[in-house]
Amino acid sequence: MNNYRRLIQPYVLWISIFLVLPMILIVLYAFTTGGNDVLTFHFTLDNFARFFNDNVFIGVLIDSFRIALITTILCIIIGYPAAYFISKMQVKSNAFFILLITLPMWINMLVRTYAWVGILSDNGVINNILSFFGLGPLHMIHTEFAIVLGMVYNFLPFMILQIHASLSKMDPSLVEASSDLGASKFETFKRIIFPLSLPGVISGITLVFLPATSSFFIQRLLGGGTILVGNLIENYFVTTGDWNFGSAISLIMAVIIMLSMYFTNKLDKERGED
Amino acid sequence: MNKIIQFKNIVKSFDDQVILKGITLDIYENEFVTLLGPSGCGKTTLLRILGGFLEADSGEVIFDNENIADLPPYKRELNTVFQKYALFPHMNVFDNIAFGLKIKKMSDDVIRQKVTRMLKLVNLEGYEDRKIDQLSGGQQQRIAIARALVNEPKVLLLDEPLGALDLKLRKEMQLELKKIQQEVGITFIYVTHDQEEALTMSDKIVVMREGEIEQVGTPVDIYNEPVNEYVANFIGESNVIDGVMKEDYLVSFDDKDYTCVDHGFKENEEVDIVIRPEDIEIVGRGRGVLNGKVKSMLFKGVHNEIIVETARGSHVEVTMTIYNKEPIFNEDAGEYISANNFYVDVQDFDELTDDDIIARADAQAWDAETEEYVGFSNVTYEELVGEDTYPVTFSTSKGTSITIQMIGVKQRYIQDEKKRIGIAAFDFFKTLDEIEESQALDTDLKTWADAVSWDLDTDEAIEVRNVDYDFEIEDLKPGKYKVSFSTVGREFKIHTTKSSEVDKNVGLSFGPEDIHVMEKMGF
Amino acid sequence: MKEKYGSKVFLGLLMVFFYLPILYMIVFSFNGSKSLSKFTGFSLRWYEQMFANKSMIEAIYYTVVIAILATIISTVVGTLASIGLSKSKKVLKTYVEQINNLPIMNPEIVTAIGLMLFFTTMKIEKGFITLLLAHIAFCIPYVMLSVSPRLRRLDPNLANAAMDLGATPSYALRKVIIPQLMPGIVAGALIAFTMSFDDFIISYFVSGNGIKNISILVYTMSKRINPSINALSTIIVVIITIVLIVVNLMSMKKTKTNKTGQRIGLAVVAACVGLTIFGLQKLRSNTGGDFDPIETYGCDTLNVFNAGEYIGEDTIAKFEKKYNVHVNYSLFASNEEMYTKLLSGESYDVLVPSDYMIEQLMQEDRLQKINLDHIKNYDALSPMVTGLDYDPKNEYSIPYFWGSVGIMYNKNKVSQEDLETEGFGILQNPKYKGRIFVYDSERDSFMMALKHLGYSMNTSNLDEINEAYEWLRDIRANDPVFVTDEVIDGMINGEKDIAVVYSGDATYIQMENPDMAYYEPLEGTNIWSDAMVIPKNSACPLLAEAYIDFNLDETIAYENSEYVGYTSSVQSVMDDLIAGEFKDLPSYLPRSGYDKDEIFKYNPKIRKVISELWVKVKAK
Repeated sequence: MNNYRRLIQPYVLWISIFLVLPMILIVLYAFTTGGNDVLTFHFTLDNFARFFNDNVFIGVLIDSFRIALITTILCIIIGYPAAYFISKMQVKSNAFFILLITLPMWINMLVRTYAWVGILSDNGVINNILSFFGLGPLHMIHTEFAIVLGMVYNFLPFMILQIHASLSKMDPSLVEASSDLGASKFETFKRIIFPLSLPGVISGITLVFLPATSSFFIQRLLGGGTILVGNLIENYFVTTGDWNFGSAISLIMAVIIMLSMYFTNKLDKERGED
Repeated sequence: MNKIIQFKNIVKSFDDQVILKGITLDIYENEFVTLLGPSGCGKTTLLRILGGFLEADSGEVIFDNENIADLPPYKRELNTVFQKYALFPHMNVFDNIAFGLKIKKMSDDVIRQKVTRMLKLVNLEGYEDRKIDQLSGGQQQRIAIARALVNEPKVLLLDEPLGALDLKLRKEMQLELKKIQQEVGITFIYVTHDQEEALTMSDKIVVMREGEIEQVGTPVDIYNEPVNEYVANFIGESNVIDGVMKEDYLVSFDDKDYTCVDHGFKENEEVDIVIRPEDIEIVGRGRGVLNGKVKSMLFKGVHNEIIVETARGSHVEVTMTIYNKEPIFNEDAGEYISANNFYVDVQDFDELTDDDIIARADAQAWDAETEEYVGFSNVTYEELVGEDTYPVTFSTSKGTSITIQMIGVKQRYIQDEKKRIGIAAFDFFKTLDEIEESQALDTDLKTWADAVSWDLDTDEAIEVRNVDYDFEIEDLKPGKYKVSFSTVGREFKIHTTKSSEVDKNVGLSFGPEDIHVMEKMGF
Repeated sequence: MKEKYGSKVFLGLLMVFFYLPILYMIVFSFNGSKSLSKFTGFSLRWYEQMFANKSMIEAIYYTVVIAILATIISTVVGTLASIGLSKSKKVLKTYVEQINNLPIMNPEIVTAIGLMLFFTTMKIEKGFITLLLAHIAFCIPYVMLSVSPRLRRLDPNLANAAMDLGATPSYALRKVIIPQLMPGIVAGALIAFTMSFDDFIISYFVSGNGIKNISILVYTMSKRINPSINALSTIIVVIITIVLIVVNLMSMKKTKTNKTGQRIGLAVVAACVGLTIFGLQKLRSNTGGDFDPIETYGCDTLNVFNAGEYIGEDTIAKFEKKYNVHVNYSLFASNEEMYTKLLSGESYDVLVPSDYMIEQLMQEDRLQKINLDHIKNYDALSPMVTGLDYDPKNEYSIPYFWGSVGIMYNKNKVSQEDLETEGFGILQNPKYKGRIFVYDSERDSFMMALKHLGYSMNTSNLDEINEAYEWLRDIRANDPVFVTDEVIDGMINGEKDIAVVYSGDATYIQMENPDMAYYEPLEGTNIWSDAMVIPKNSACPLLAEAYIDFNLDETIAYENSEYVGYTSSVQSVMDDLIAGEFKDLPSYLPRSGYDKDEIFKYNPKIRKVISELWVKVKAK
């Protein structure tokens, strides 16, 4: 079997070029200033100082993480029961629902998100229906509600699929054992099913929280100019052309995300060790 | 003793397949009851109905004089040890065992006390803080038992709990389980397909088959007095023989009468006779009740397993003709040609095609230089009428030809009216090379002679087990040899500490009390 | 039973949530009008337009081709790498696994900018190859993630057994190991395809030179979302639904053997590949005239970089037909975005930037001179837009559209008096709280603040700029919504009463909603002019000049201007439209000669300051 060992060598080269080098470049740009040329390398911490000395930037960062957190929590609250109900179904309807949840992901994210503009806007579908009953209008578009809704809409399937996977992997005899030992359905859920599905919840959190913090088109389409970290980075790369500062912001975001993921995972592990 | 559990006519089916066909069974207090049977016999289903994980289609489950059919598992006063233990992977040993107690909201110190006592019972003191995946299979097993027992159930259900353990550990755990059961003094209901396990531990064995109970009894009863062939075969190894009960205390098989201790059958009733392998003794020829020839001997550790054939099966003998054969070389065409004589059943004459003849004669022609096969342009022979020898000539387009003999015969075919078995085989021709090249000669001989056997009544194929010949391959020369084929005869399996030699003629001895007569099983 | 009922209701609601936008999209793909919130009647025009729209067909083509190629390559490489990895030493294993986690565990935007920096640094021209490489790079880890678990469950002696029986390692790989891994490989390929097909963020940053997928197209169609996208998505939904039904029916029958399944798979792949090749042929040779552009111009492909929805519907097609060439038509959302793309090494033949940007490009020596002899329609240009300060002799730029920035207001809801007395200050009038759209442009927002405060919009006085910043922050008390081109749909639907808009958009909005009117504040405003220029690195200046000239042709210029609503640079077109189609719409003929109005000037230092301050205005 050692014959196959050399199959990895080209790939190691590949990831070193296409995955590692780009990350090194971000770090390099983040710690330099001046023109967009790596050759004029000059180490500096200015980019970071500029970011952290400015309340507006800090505010944007906090906003981004707050919205991502709300999105993630909502995804758990909606996604968990959904995954749970689906996993309890018969094989056929189980597969059917999973299909229904995966299907929308095949349609372009931006198009789906844009559809919400028409649904939520002041003269949109929902307000038309409301006004038919003499209600409203409800102002929804260009609010934080719309951003969160757009994010939940886009990322909820990831959460459901992850939790569903961990629930359906679970040995049904564990549930029987719990019931056998006197635990009611609720107790069984609380003590056995939920703790054992936590790894699924954790990876679901990763899959929701990550894109939610770094998204930039959802708030652009639904948020009416709300600025989050993703837009900052886009702005500095695409509009301003200040790649050094843009890299610094990306680096800050990446580090914060990695730290929070690290602690989430650690928390889960520690809890398991109790 | 009090009945603690009563199953009354339990029926259960899945997807139109009936798994339990009306089980009625009583289980008493403090009993170690084993449900024994092969997989699919319904034993686990019955256990799961008792545990509350399945609902019976009909029938009653009485527990302590109370119908518990509608009670959910968590309200039943019994606990289960699951097949793969079902220990909670996210909890340590302590939390696993304490699970049921915490649900009952017992105080912490009571829980600690009880868990410690349980760990002591299962010999795992000090393992409280271990994680489940740090335990060996045997340890996990014990924790699963402790987790169930700590709730002080009236009945403990065990679903093949030792299946995942290796042999040595399994034996240890068998003893330990029995010990625990005696110590805690509650009813154990144990499901297994391992008869040895059942015999070792149980107070009572319930043998199940296809959703029905075959026999209920103590291990000794079941072993010594199986009610039928199925139970006899399932419990221990045995020799089961078709026989006829001539009168009380007199049974007959293989044309011979034997006195026995059984009675109460109809006169001349067809019966199954069981003789346990360890009850037969090998003695000198003529000294026992039967004579036979040793077919094989296997060393099994504490004893030898010897197979003795006391009566030959149906058999047929054919002639194998061995000759030297060199391919014929046609210099003009630069071609070789070869073919064998062969026998053919006169009944097959009508359907015989040229291709059949080429195949049966194993006729081949090939180019001397390229060694590529050359097709035959012509196969000629006279009109086939009855038993006779017909010259057959194969020729190629370049004129290379060979003539062989096709011998039309009536197939040798023997009908054993008594055993209702037919057996048939052909004489055949082979070259010395072909014999020497054979990797599995017995199988090849069967193929060459086309030896087949069948049941005269059902036409079903019967294995041609034995191939006998008295030549040594090294000494083979062209000439004629006898080869005989036979089906399995009467064979006795004997467990003895003595040894014997293959092909030795011996006598077999057993007494009337060793013969156990059973009713034929109805289907 | 009650519990089951509850769970069904819950899942039902969830499905409504998931499918409402899709249903909405399907319904509006049949909408008779352009509106995305009012259904005005059944029509198939968006389907027709989708098939007629070349850049959309191209985007579909690139999306599919990239997805197929990336899937095939990443599946093959990922599978082999997984097999190699399973046999590797622990150190290497950890390294590869950690690195593989990067695109999965990192925010996508970080991966995207990393790759963008990489391609720029390596001077790899952005386009098809970079897009493909990036997609392969982020797809492989997902394939490996799907294959590796299966590999771990595989008996490690399987390959040894095959080799023991005389198989070569590669035979054992093909006939024993890979068939065992097939379910994982198929799942990985599916994930890869989905990821690639739907990717936006990474594609957005690494693509260039006119190569765009559906996501980029949707994002850059910033001027007025085109309902053809709904038509396209509807077609995708239908195709996927059919495929799923067929797959389900097939698995239900289960009579098909594995072999036929494989054959069907192969046939599908072959069909896809064939289709893409066919598509490519079709894209490249859609004109088929006798004219040989290479002989005359030295090339047959033209890269045009323009703002979104800033050209007539058929202009490109007509140009391609007339000159027998292929046009790569890309869109930018702002001058700054265009500039950044240019800087990152992408090459174009014709750009359409605004005045100050042209000034900057000229100063940085990024433009080449235009031979006015080749611009036969030059004399048709209006004197209002020629000879402007930044390019007095029009050596580098030929005007395209021009206009002003002003306030669009609802005549029934906004008092004319407030407008006239307060000018841009009306944005701070609490009467209109929550009723305001502000155009998300740093430059024009600071322009109105500075104008309102009485300063020059080209000031380099930082105190004045800070004052303008404070003024803009104060607007936020009125809860304005910062939008780009949603303002058009929004004002047509009367969602707000006041909006800061460009004159051309104002014209378009008024055509659709007569309640709206356009006002140019007396404090002065920005009079801007967008012009066509040829960058230095253009490989095809002669054809570029032909393109520029083509756009000044009276018919073409008329169609362009009529379609987008912006004021044409061609005098006769201007006159015709204001007398006809856009009669009584003063926004079509912006004010000229007013001494408080200004044109933007290039000022690199101020540009950065303003850009950062604008982010802060929008941030909370």
